[in-house]
Amino acid sequence: MIDEKEFIQQLLDPKTQNTAFQQLLSEYQRPLYVHIRNIVLNHDDADDVLQNTFVKVFQYLKNFKGESKLFSWMYRIATNEALTFLSQKAKLNGITSEALQNKTIDNLKADIYFDGDEIQIKLQKAIITLPEKQQLVFKMKYFQELKYEEIAAILGTSVGALKASYHHAVKKIEIYVTSN
Amino acid sequence: MKAFKLENEPKISTGFKTPDHYFDDLSAKVLQQINEDKKEVKVIPFYKRKKVLSILAAAVIIMALMIPIVNNYNATSKELDEDTLETYLAYQSNLNQYDLIQNLDAKDIQKLNKNVAIEDETLEDILSSTPNIEHLISE
Repeated sequence: MIDEKEFIQQLLDPKTQNTAFQQLLSEYQRPLYVHIRNIVLNHDDADDVLQNTFVKVFQYLKNFKGESKLFSWMYRIATNEALTFLSQKAKLNGITSEALQNKTIDNLKADIYFDGDEIQIKLQKAIITLPEKQQLVFKMKYFQELKYEEIAAILGTSVGALKASYHHAVKKIEIYVTSN
Repeated sequence: MKAFKLENEPKISTGFKTPDHYFDDLSAKVLQQINEDKKEVKVIPFYKRKKVLSILAAAVIIMALMIPIVNNYNATSKELDEDTLETYLAYQSNLNQYDLIQNLDAKDIQKLNKNVAIEDETLEDILSSTPNIEHLISE
């Protein structure tokens, strides 16, 4: 990929904008989809959030200062969109975020876009018992296999704090799975 | 029960799948959404329009209320125009020439001289058409 600054210029220039944005989409749609899907859990919601994320990326691109990498900036937008989506959906249903996630996991068994079995369901159930930040760190590290440096740039925390967070998350998950 | 250790287990996947060809037309969908957003006409909230309208209405009412005041102001204006003054002096006044002369100062007389500058021809006309010219000359 060409120099990131140059690429951002192409994204901002009306003449090259469409081609550049197409390129951005094809490069990031899969990893961002996986990231969002891991947070919202079902496909239809992930689809909505992913589209909104790209629209926001396009809208805010002119405010992108290049202080962080385009990659982590986009992941940050996706994370915020997904978390906002979850809390709004929970509010709309008059339940807590955790109760909503529990319900979504129960529905996964009947979801045609889910082919996990007992252990996947159990792991998801274990994850939702964690605090939000630990959930994110665990999913990004274990499922998406992002590097600690990348996660740190996305979530704006130190690598040390992330390692501790991940360690705590793994311990709690192991305890949950063992006892359930 | 044996303690569950994540690192001892084979990697557990999420089990999430996507519909076939989902990513094929995703970019087209997103671009369409962006273009729709661009085209969207800016909607002015109703309350804003109402506010502008009420301000306009208030301005019109105030201006309408001010019409009699403006009219009155003109009517009661203390400055008299020259015509009115002349007419008054000519018909209503009990001032006589003597009073007028008494009130004239040097500047006024100079002004009068300028105003009443009569050309020679006009003077001749007056003299020839006046029957008692001799009387005037002898005086």
